[in-house]
Amino acid sequence: MSSKKINCDSRRNFLKNISTGSLLAVSGLSLLSCKDPSEEKTTLLTTDGKLVQVSKSEIEEMEHLHQGAPPEEARKGIPGKKFVMVLDLSRCKNARKCVEACDTHHNLTPDRPYIKVLKMKDNEKSSPYWMPKPCFHCDNPPCVKVCPVGATFKRSDGIVLVDNERCIGCRFCMAACPYSARVFNWKAPPEGKLDLPYSPETSLPSKIGTVAKCDFCPDMIRNGDLPHCVPACPNGVIYFGNELDDTVTNGEETVRLSTLLKEKAGYRYMEDLGTKPRLYYLPPVDRMFPFEETNQESQL
Amino acid sequence: MKKEISNGQVFETSREKDLLSHLISTSQKYKLWIAFLLLIILFGMFAYYRQVKYGLIVTAMRDFTSWGIYISNFVFLVAISLVGSLFSSILKLNNNVWAKPLIRVSEFIAVAAIICASVIIIIDMGRPDRFFYVITHFRIQSPIIWDVIIISTYLVISVLLLYISILPDIALCRDRLTEIPNWKKKFYRIMAINWVNHPKQVAILKKVSKILAVAVLPVAFAIHTVTSWLFATTWRPGWDSTNLGPYFVSGAFMAGAAVIVIAMYFIRNQLKLKSYITESHFNNMGKLLVLLSLVYLYFNINEYLGPAFKMVGVEGEHITELFAGKYSFLYWFVQLGGLVLPIILLLFRKMRNPVPLLIISFFVILGAWVKRFLIVIPSLQHPYLPIQDVEESYLHYIPTWEEWAITLASFASLLLIVTILIKLFPVLPVQEDEKLVINTDINPLIIKNES
Amino acid sequence: MKVNRYLYPALKIFLLMGLIFGNIPLAFGQDAKEDAKIAVSFSEENDIKTITAIAVDKTGEPIEELELYFYVKRTFSLLPVGDPFNSTDENGMLEVVFPNDLPGDDAKGNVTIVVKIKESDLYNDLSLESTKNWGIPISLDPLKEKRSLWASSANAPISLITGVSIMIFGIWYIIFYIFFKLYKISKIRT
Repeated sequence: MSSKKINCDSRRNFLKNISTGSLLAVSGLSLLSCKDPSEEKTTLLTTDGKLVQVSKSEIEEMEHLHQGAPPEEARKGIPGKKFVMVLDLSRCKNARKCVEACDTHHNLTPDRPYIKVLKMKDNEKSSPYWMPKPCFHCDNPPCVKVCPVGATFKRSDGIVLVDNERCIGCRFCMAACPYSARVFNWKAPPEGKLDLPYSPETSLPSKIGTVAKCDFCPDMIRNGDLPHCVPACPNGVIYFGNELDDTVTNGEETVRLSTLLKEKAGYRYMEDLGTKPRLYYLPPVDRMFPFEETNQESQL
Repeated sequence: MKKEISNGQVFETSREKDLLSHLISTSQKYKLWIAFLLLIILFGMFAYYRQVKYGLIVTAMRDFTSWGIYISNFVFLVAISLVGSLFSSILKLNNNVWAKPLIRVSEFIAVAAIICASVIIIIDMGRPDRFFYVITHFRIQSPIIWDVIIISTYLVISVLLLYISILPDIALCRDRLTEIPNWKKKFYRIMAINWVNHPKQVAILKKVSKILAVAVLPVAFAIHTVTSWLFATTWRPGWDSTNLGPYFVSGAFMAGAAVIVIAMYFIRNQLKLKSYITESHFNNMGKLLVLLSLVYLYFNINEYLGPAFKMVGVEGEHITELFAGKYSFLYWFVQLGGLVLPIILLLFRKMRNPVPLLIISFFVILGAWVKRFLIVIPSLQHPYLPIQDVEESYLHYIPTWEEWAITLASFASLLLIVTILIKLFPVLPVQEDEKLVINTDINPLIIKNES
Repeated sequence: MKVNRYLYPALKIFLLMGLIFGNIPLAFGQDAKEDAKIAVSFSEENDIKTITAIAVDKTGEPIEELELYFYVKRTFSLLPVGDPFNSTDENGMLEVVFPNDLPGDDAKGNVTIVVKIKESDLYNDLSLESTKNWGIPISLDPLKEKRSLWASSANAPISLITGVSIMIFGIWYIIFYIFFKLYKISKIRT
């Protein structure tokens, strides 16, 4: 009698254990499906051709995602394109994310930003507004005209680049630019983390005694990506596109360039200087944000 | 009459003795002077070594004031170099006989100044190791390339002008000087290119001299006008002016005349040439200086009246800063002390005596150097777009010791080159084919060459 | 007591079943939406270009009130065409006017038109691309650099090149002439 009871008990226990076990197993399985990323490994190909397994948490986003064309190639523009940028001043809040993105990807120190965000006030009675100012890549570029050695050049796709393997550091282009768009490497620029061959399209590595400026990131453009500042802006201020297909985008909205400029009265800064900038501004009307003076990022 | 001097050198005339003795003997003063200049140059070279090692960050130039006293000094030196054409061309073609003896000094200074200007522009470059790119990769559209072409051309022409004017005297040195080292004898012999005062040679030299006197004038005007275009082709307040070419050229002649006065005074005193460079020369230089300063004053008024009347935007800010702001002391010192006051003072005969004229010329030269500073730097501090969010060092331009050292070294180099040229070649024409007419209120000394 | 003895195992079993069966819809959730098919046709009449899309579900029935998005492929992104929100009518049909002045991608005026179903509750995402030469032709040839002040050195304005060359040649001819004359002087012997 007792053995029967024991058998019944053990069967019951067995069933109990199985059900608990499977419960635990299923819940365990479902927990496991959200895996710990640090444990996950991925296979990468190193620059010297070896395959390595690296855990995902150790992977850092690279300073530069693409390689640009070498100096000779970089003088030719991308065929069929004429790049243009539109900046919507009614949306700019001085968030300076564009400056951050540009500084990071071009390995810049804070004293030499390619894109500057300026507080502008057109006259005494109008209200101040923030105006981001990269290089305008003018169609009648004063800087290219005066360069004695052709270190800065205008491409067929509208982009003006600097070849810092040819620049002699005379700084005439800096004197000639009416928009103060260029910066100079007065001392040795910081060493980059990556060992890329030089390309004027990435402006990396930068060299002492040469001039540098916003380059519209041709290395990104060649791969169909927007320049770094465009998606970095949280307010969609910067639109970039191809004038020849009449379209600009800020990463989220895509609009026709001609419509945008007509409807919002796009203008070019100091149009009457005759430099023909390839960058348009949309006037700061119907502002998205009220103007605020204080901003932590604006202090160096 | 044969003249002898202590170490056995024999001269045929007293004129020869006066003008050639310093070529043979080296005084203690001379050695100290050379040592002093070399010291300054060495100090400047150390400063340049620091600049090459650390980059242009050792200067006070930053992204907005991207050109500093190297460029203003370059403009100043190019201005000084125009004095060669003033004497070799303008005064000569105008038959200003009194100025003939001063041609050689002016060419010494012109050659030295243009060499120093070329060196200082290389020093200003961020990548001097790539200097030859201006030849291999030049862009004919760039005003800098025009400047390179015209400066090299002017250097060659000035050297030719100098050589043409001293060729007969080199032959004289070759023939007359015996107590000199052998290398110097060989040097004179080669440089004299078989000059023997043959009538055919004299005829060729005369013709060549006339051609050069005419040819140098457009080149001289061009060199400083092209330098002014380095500024006039940009959109900067104070630079964006159609008046800049004549303004620069007239300022150059004025500054050059003042340099000649200073050179005249020291050469006269140190080489004991009081009877050759007479008070009448100073008198005439004083009058010339007044004339050139009046022309420069005219262009100055034109340069500032228009913008000051309109006060347009950043141009207005720039004018305010010059007239009443940060640079007002320097500006009025230059315009009044370096331009207006000299004109008024030099109208008086007493002021055209050697010592007062020397002092006035010093002020004119100092004013000229500071004026070039005021042309280059304040304009860069007023770009169209506001200067915001920059480090303190970007807002001011006060040259660092390295920049001063290099600038002083450029002056010392100029003086060194002139000194060496004076030591090698007679500073005044020894052989002449024309009478030198001098005012009778000073000891006259008329020598005719017997050849 | 009897209740307790059966309660806990029952609970465990129900929990287990719930876990297993609860995950099934998540695992197979996609398949709850249906596939839709879109037929795209183009017509051009009186200079008005129209894109017509007819949406049918997998049974062949036209889909009503389905939002379709029309785009043209551009350099960096897709440019929306037509009104912001377009829905099919009761026949599953939707007509959108294509602009006449849109630049094309190449010399033939080809454009890539994309029709999409996006974020629909009932149907899966779908994207259809077709090429049509409804754009304005543009030239893709790399433009030859024109002569200008900002061009490379080889393409300087002719007037500048000639002017500077004449001046340099003129003055250096004189300089070389003078060197020649000096040489002549050195050759004269008495």
